[in-house]
Amino acid sequence: MIPDATAASVLQSGLIPEGTRVQVFSEIYWVFLALGTLVGAVVIGYMLYNAYKYSYEGGSDEKDRPKLGEVPTGGGKGKKLFLSLSLSAIIVISLIAWTYGTLLFVEGQSGEQGVEVEVEGYQFGWNFHYLNDDGSYAGVNTTNTLRVPVDRQVNLRVTSADVFHNFGIPELRVKSDAIPGETTETWFEASDTGTYTAHCYELCGQGHSYMDAEVIVMPEDEYQDWYTSQTASANNESASNESAANVAAAGV
Amino acid sequence: MTDDTQPRTDGGTALPGDSHDDGHLPPRWSLKRWLVTTNHKDVGILYLATAMFFLIFGGVLALLIRAQMWAPRAPGEGILSAMAYNQAVSLHGLIMVFWFISPFATGFANYIVPLQIGAEDLAFPRLNALSYWLYLASGILVFASFFQGASYAGGWTLYAPLNIPAFMPSIGATTTVLAIVVFCVSITVGGVNFITTIHRMRAPGLTMRSLPLFTWSMLLTVWMMLLAFAALLAAVMILLSDRMLGTTYFAATTAGGSVLWTHLFWFFGHPEVYIVFFPALGAMAEIFQTFTGNRIVGRKWFIVSMVLVALQSFIVWMHHMFLTSINLEVKTLFMATTIGISLPFDLMVFALIYTLIKGRIRWDTPMLYAFGAMVLFIVGGITGVFLGAVVLDYEFRGTYWVVAHFHYVMVSGVTGLIAGLFYWFPKITGKTYDEFLGKLSFAVYFTGFNLLYFPLFLAWGTPRRVFAYRPEYLPWHRLASVGAVILGISFLLIIYNLAKSIVAGDDAAANPWPYSTTAEWAVSSPPPMENFPGTPSYASGSLEFLRDDEPTGAAAADGGTTATDGGHAAALESAHDDGGHVDHASYWPFMIGLFTVVTAIGFSGLQTGSFPSGLEGTFYAAASVLGVIGLIGSVSFMGYENFTAHEGGFGETWPFGGVENTKMGMWVFLASDVVLFGAFIGAAIFLRVAYGWTQWHPIPHNPIPGLVNTYLLLTSSFTVILSLVAAQKRSRKGVVASLVVTFLLGLAFLVNKAIEWVVLFQGTEEYAPIALDSSVRASTYFLTTGLHMGHVIAGLLVTAYLIWRAWNGAYVNGDDEPLEYFGLYWHFVDIVWLFLFPMFYIV
Repeated sequence: MIPDATAASVLQSGLIPEGTRVQVFSEIYWVFLALGTLVGAVVIGYMLYNAYKYSYEGGSDEKDRPKLGEVPTGGGKGKKLFLSLSLSAIIVISLIAWTYGTLLFVEGQSGEQGVEVEVEGYQFGWNFHYLNDDGSYAGVNTTNTLRVPVDRQVNLRVTSADVFHNFGIPELRVKSDAIPGETTETWFEASDTGTYTAHCYELCGQGHSYMDAEVIVMPEDEYQDWYTSQTASANNESASNESAANVAAAGV
Repeated sequence: MTDDTQPRTDGGTALPGDSHDDGHLPPRWSLKRWLVTTNHKDVGILYLATAMFFLIFGGVLALLIRAQMWAPRAPGEGILSAMAYNQAVSLHGLIMVFWFISPFATGFANYIVPLQIGAEDLAFPRLNALSYWLYLASGILVFASFFQGASYAGGWTLYAPLNIPAFMPSIGATTTVLAIVVFCVSITVGGVNFITTIHRMRAPGLTMRSLPLFTWSMLLTVWMMLLAFAALLAAVMILLSDRMLGTTYFAATTAGGSVLWTHLFWFFGHPEVYIVFFPALGAMAEIFQTFTGNRIVGRKWFIVSMVLVALQSFIVWMHHMFLTSINLEVKTLFMATTIGISLPFDLMVFALIYTLIKGRIRWDTPMLYAFGAMVLFIVGGITGVFLGAVVLDYEFRGTYWVVAHFHYVMVSGVTGLIAGLFYWFPKITGKTYDEFLGKLSFAVYFTGFNLLYFPLFLAWGTPRRVFAYRPEYLPWHRLASVGAVILGISFLLIIYNLAKSIVAGDDAAANPWPYSTTAEWAVSSPPPMENFPGTPSYASGSLEFLRDDEPTGAAAADGGTTATDGGHAAALESAHDDGGHVDHASYWPFMIGLFTVVTAIGFSGLQTGSFPSGLEGTFYAAASVLGVIGLIGSVSFMGYENFTAHEGGFGETWPFGGVENTKMGMWVFLASDVVLFGAFIGAAIFLRVAYGWTQWHPIPHNPIPGLVNTYLLLTSSFTVILSLVAAQKRSRKGVVASLVVTFLLGLAFLVNKAIEWVVLFQGTEEYAPIALDSSVRASTYFLTTGLHMGHVIAGLLVTAYLIWRAWNGAYVNGDDEPLEYFGLYWHFVDIVWLFLFPMFYIV
């Protein structure tokens, strides 16, 4: 499945992986894994080969061996050394340069239109405040459940009410630091409906191990229904009690 | 000359002191010896033994973590409560990084480096003992922290604002931070010592270029330590101030406070990775050469690579912060530097691999461990490249991928040091270890290591520092827990093997390895107190020991000359020339360590400006007072003590040929102080930018007292110079008068400052009272200028000591160096004020 996805995506978007964060991660990850395994196997294999070949088996030889008390020296094989270095440098630098294109894509995508949600970590849970297009609070707020539509970009503005947290949804390959007093921006797009789990990825105190949230990816129409009903109830509330809405808007 | 390199045998196990001057040192079987010794070999053994102890402590915590991870736990399940688990995770990291790996390497450095460079001891033997006792003191504090409510529970990275009392109120957490402060001081003292020693006390012919690789790696390690730990010291001092005095640098409400911590911490934290790994790399390089019978391939490039890594290590820290709000340009820059720093490592790995070729490789235990360490390091390095790709790092951040990666790297470093342990064991103990048990331990170790850490890559989706994880990771976590037990058993095997061999092993030859080259193998095992049977020299192209009465060009001038150990400014004494006698014993380093523990325990009770009420508070307050009095007393006694140490400087001293040890030590110390102040000033600027540069106004309402203080300090710098001039004119009155004026000017500075602070604290009709926690502006003002004030107070204490000595006739007989060294410090304090004054009074 993964190689197919890789092949399909490379065909679609050329050399630089683009697409949802799940797609770009898996493409890059598998390329790194394949090359990393190959390089590791070659280097360690070569080490073991030499270790075996040049093991001491008694006898003597002509070579000038180190003597006690000599001034430390060493050299030779400089060409070979720099050849290997160049080879490894080319592999590493080209791999990183290749992923840099994707980094630019991922970062550039942050500004795109999408569902805007402010994520606020607290000891020990997550508040989600849905935002209007102009960045103001829409009055739709949930705790520990994030509902988003499928196949649409979701932009997160992540912050914290108390200590340093980190919000991440592993299956959707999205993660961002939740820092008190600061906002970090990130985005994701889910390709399949279903329920996912978000975790906290920065030790934040006693309840850190269980600081999870549910992420429900819904079909677009269901999401719209849900969002409308939430907006309606928020409006009702604000009609009946304006100050309550202000409190909600302030994220308290 | 090779005949001369044969060691003078002391019978291998001869007790020091039976035939030569032992500098008043009791014999080895006496407990007293280990409390008073300043000899580098003894201190090395103390370091190694203590570090092994902390390895067991950190290892037990690791086993507790793995027991908790045996299954995903619901709240309250498993052997540890949530808070106990968080403490185990945090202290496992802190203990392994601070109290095990670096001190373990320092143990080898202590024992081996002077032998390798041909020095009879370190430049400042008492400071060396002091480093050790401060290290032990900090370790005892870590222990104590568990019994004061709870130890630190916020991860070894101590992220803000979880680290402040609002979120972590236990006294034990403060004690842990105090322990780190004491540890940083220990590292700084040690760094000054090693840097001075390696630069200034090498045997003739042993140029920088021809230094053995282990010594090279240690030299770069201590340089990195000196500068990186100064940044950590600044970070933990600020944190302590937040915890104990109530400043608000890291409060959740302070704009930029959390990110400030990540900058300060990682500016230290990334060089720390290389600080941990370099000594192992140096040991591996020595072992590869010895056991392959080949000189290392591309030696010059290996050294160049290490230097490059040491320099670059200070410009990669932000790769730990890719998910904070730093912008794309900065991310790109740090991605590039991160990839850049991996390349010198590639070269070093290839150099070691090519050294195998055409070798006659002997698979003794040290080589097995060194070879194994290389394999593990390669796996760790390759998985690190994944993290260099920012897009992948976004997803790996905070997961077990990071955990697996850095354990492969760091514990491969441990593996390299264990190789060193077996390699140098015969030298240090004079006994041979059991080769079969050694090889067996390696097999168990290597199996346990990979069973423990490799499955963590496969379970990489697990978030760090949790004990609830997805059921699909269960098999991998179980495997890791089994591996942890196996790895633990291998350490027991190692310890059993070595302990058994110390008691009942065969005596070791001076040089048990066929192709070793470095000087430690040219003397008996263990080496005699004075290390060498004569003055070591490489001047003829290979090591020889010259008899002391044999003139050898440059060496003749001051062959046996000795000078005092005067690293502490107050310890400056006139040089003694009493025919080569040197001291090896002093009580004061131990006493300073002891009172450090008392002081820190006392201080730990202080929370946001007050002690707890009742008996508990009385205990903490009393301990603080007792500790501080004891500290001042023992530092003064150490300063006054007559102690003669080796001076060195007769051989290779590049690039510090023209300076004495103490002057160089002072320079090196000031270099670390520059970083300390730099971090404090940088922190204030960072917070100001986050706050809004133009909304930020100076705390003092009136800059005039600050201006007056600027003039006072500048004048006092001038009078220090006058005292030196007077000393050169041999005028006792002149020296005393200039020093007294200096003292009075400094005192005036303090009084002026005290008045300013009191007015600020009390407020006036015009202005409301200001406290440390009034605003982040107030916090930065009081703490940064307070740090400077602390430097002024320390300077005045030294001035008082100098006045007393000058009154009694010192410094006017060509022995005016102490005045010069104190002057360096005092000028530095003045220069810092020239930065602080505009920053906190005007802009």
